[in-house]
Amino acid sequence: MTLGAKLRGPGWYRAALSQPISLAFSVGLVAAVRALYGYDPVLDGNAITTVALITMPIGFIVGIGCFDYWFRWASGAPTVPEDHSGHGAKTWRDYFKVNTDHKVIGIQYIVTTFIFFILGGLMAMVIRAELAQPGTQFVDPNTYNGLFSVHASLMIFLFIIPVFAGIANYVIPLMIGAPDMAFPRLNALSFWMLPTAGVMMVASFFADGGAFATGWTAYAPISTETPIGQQFFTIGVQFAGASSIATALNFLVTIITMRAPGMTFWRMPLLVWANFTTSLLVVIATPFIAGSQFFVLLDRSLGTHFFDPAAGGDVLMYQHVFWFYSHPAVYIMMLPGFGIVSEIVSTHARKPVFGYRMMAFSLVAIVILGFTVWAHHMFVSGMFDWMRVPMMITTMLIAVPTGIKIFSWLATLWKGVIHLTTPMLFALGFITMFTLGGISGIILAVIPVVIHVSDTYFIVAHIHYVLFGGSVFTIFAGLYHWFPKMTGRMYDEKLGKLHFWLSFVFFNLTFGPMHFVGVDGMPRRVADYADQFATWNAVISVSSFIFGLSFLVFLYNMITSWRQGPRAVANPWRAHSIEWQVSSPPPIFNFDEIPTVVGGPYEYGVPGAVHAVFGDKKAPVKPAPAGGGGAPPPTTE
Amino acid sequence: MESGAAALGGVPTEHEHHHEHHGPPEANQSSRVEAQFLGMLLFIISEVMLFGAFFTAYFFVRVVGDASWPAEGDHLPVAIAGVNTAILISSSFTMHWALEGARNENRAALRVGLLTTALLGLTFLIIQINEYVHIGFAPADHAQGTIFYGLTGLHGAHVFVGLTLLTFATIRAFRGHFTAKEHRGVEVPGIYWHFVDVMWIVVYATIYIL
Repeated sequence: MTLGAKLRGPGWYRAALSQPISLAFSVGLVAAVRALYGYDPVLDGNAITTVALITMPIGFIVGIGCFDYWFRWASGAPTVPEDHSGHGAKTWRDYFKVNTDHKVIGIQYIVTTFIFFILGGLMAMVIRAELAQPGTQFVDPNTYNGLFSVHASLMIFLFIIPVFAGIANYVIPLMIGAPDMAFPRLNALSFWMLPTAGVMMVASFFADGGAFATGWTAYAPISTETPIGQQFFTIGVQFAGASSIATALNFLVTIITMRAPGMTFWRMPLLVWANFTTSLLVVIATPFIAGSQFFVLLDRSLGTHFFDPAAGGDVLMYQHVFWFYSHPAVYIMMLPGFGIVSEIVSTHARKPVFGYRMMAFSLVAIVILGFTVWAHHMFVSGMFDWMRVPMMITTMLIAVPTGIKIFSWLATLWKGVIHLTTPMLFALGFITMFTLGGISGIILAVIPVVIHVSDTYFIVAHIHYVLFGGSVFTIFAGLYHWFPKMTGRMYDEKLGKLHFWLSFVFFNLTFGPMHFVGVDGMPRRVADYADQFATWNAVISVSSFIFGLSFLVFLYNMITSWRQGPRAVANPWRAHSIEWQVSSPPPIFNFDEIPTVVGGPYEYGVPGAVHAVFGDKKAPVKPAPAGGGGAPPPTTE
Repeated sequence: MESGAAALGGVPTEHEHHHEHHGPPEANQSSRVEAQFLGMLLFIISEVMLFGAFFTAYFFVRVVGDASWPAEGDHLPVAIAGVNTAILISSSFTMHWALEGARNENRAALRVGLLTTALLGLTFLIIQINEYVHIGFAPADHAQGTIFYGLTGLHGAHVFVGLTLLTFATIRAFRGHFTAKEHRGVEVPGIYWHFVDVMWIVVYATIYIL
């Protein structure tokens, strides 16, 4: 192919070409508008950066080829509705193209998010190195502020939220017996928006004045007054958020309209339920963080007064709008993990999930209650007094559905045949760590306590217990569990167990002591601290380095096993759900024929029980209860 | 309905396409609701929430902050905006006319309906911009101005997106697409257009009338 053809066709050449074009367009637009308004000088670095932050990612996404089909469609040119030329991966190169196969997109998601996980983790290592002893060691306070801000933003927006989307992308269509997602091209677009957001956040370190240093919460008015690095967050979040909404919409439509015959809602595996509820949260809540960042963007770049009390604006409004998304966001980061753990606990303990329906109902309850607790992040903000106690009560109430889930997992384990495989170890580790994190969450719901520990390391300990001990453990559990399915090879069990024990022990040694220094009043988000905290901080830093190194075991295991691990059979865990009934890795279109679901997904220990059958579509469909019995399932068809 | 795929290069020909092992199995349709319709509905829900965030800002400035509305010395052209509202609402009816045209194979109604809808939407936008020019306050003047331009501007952006979708549908209608059976390309942008209209009624009521 000639260079000209490469530059015209979709791909990395055109994406690269799009960057100088987008930049030139930004410069031109800024110059034109400023000249029109009579500003002097007509070229302004901050304005150009802001516009370029919007045009360059869009240029990249168009260049890589996400819109080619839609452009042809929109102009009425011939299109092939079922064109599968961009479907499936034959070589590793296909993973670097716009691909419409949910399995390819799932792996694209997982690998991309893990790259940002590593970057965020390295930032955490620098943070701990700086905090190893009192005083200033390696970085100045401004860089430190940038480090923890970018660390948190990457971990939340570029790792935990999208890696769950990646796992679900791979697994959900297989689980419900669908050949792909409902909107494969939208799925590809959702993925390609993601790396642009991550690159933007990392690139903020090179901005004039350093990276955004306002934490991942970016409270106004500090975020409206800090240097240009803040724009990298403000705009980056929009791309990550748009990606998140698009993929959630896709999951919802896929789960509602593409389930296999016989797959009623009450026969869906709990991971499908979990992603269904998570996607509802994303679709409803994410626009609020988009709104909050639009306000910041407008205040910063057009001089509006959303947050300027002198002109009638309201500073606290930022926190209300932000937390109306960001509290549900903690469930967006947790519910898919609940689903993964339900799959793993049941499969590796060879028992039906205890209280299947209550597990699903509790997910729904968390979604509803999740919208009523946002202001518990604002107990010390000076908001309306009357909101405090109701928010405390709802916060405590939300522990009830979460508790239902914990006890149901324990009851599932009860008298089960527990196989201590790596996924199971991580699932068990999750249950213990998340319970601890949940309990400190209840402690934090109590207003007098939170006034005492607000903005201390107690908060840091709590968030890492729920997000690392909680979410990330489920991510590891899920990756080990579905690794054979995704790659067609087995991971090394010994290394997996080593990874678990290293991370479990040193996770606790890293974040456990933070509770103590937090209660003693060590403030978070500060590069230096009082000498009285020196001992614990040295312990925390040393543990965190070993904790960080334990990740290398995981990485080594994944890479070598993917390249030369032993071939995996179709169903190494003898699981019942549909994704295990096809080959590992699954065929390009998942199924030759859509399976028929004839029973619940967790009928372990029931002789002859199957979840789905292939081939004979006219087989009598026997009604079988899902999970824990009760009334026969109502059909949704 | 759309042939000539081979001209695009690299895509399967009609023959290969129908070969049994080359395509995916037909997905089971597990709901009466169509995927495209449901997708647009969910997108609209998230759009409503985005407006919700802007209305929260409105609430905080006007209700919590107890600001005078509009700001002292400012005047909102309620009557002109009312005429503009009527223009936008009437475009919902022409949109429906176009869709009925597609359903009944009435190509003239489809084309004229789509074109009229797009022109009415464009008229709305132009009147809105004209209002911005003559209204006498700027977004940076005070929080009321910020909220006014924020909400009407957000809505204007949605009109623009709707117009873009309508333009696609119009181009395709004039190039001979859409049949009585296959007219999602009119139906789905139509839903969005109705959403934009209904949203304007809410914005108009809260900004201009209340």
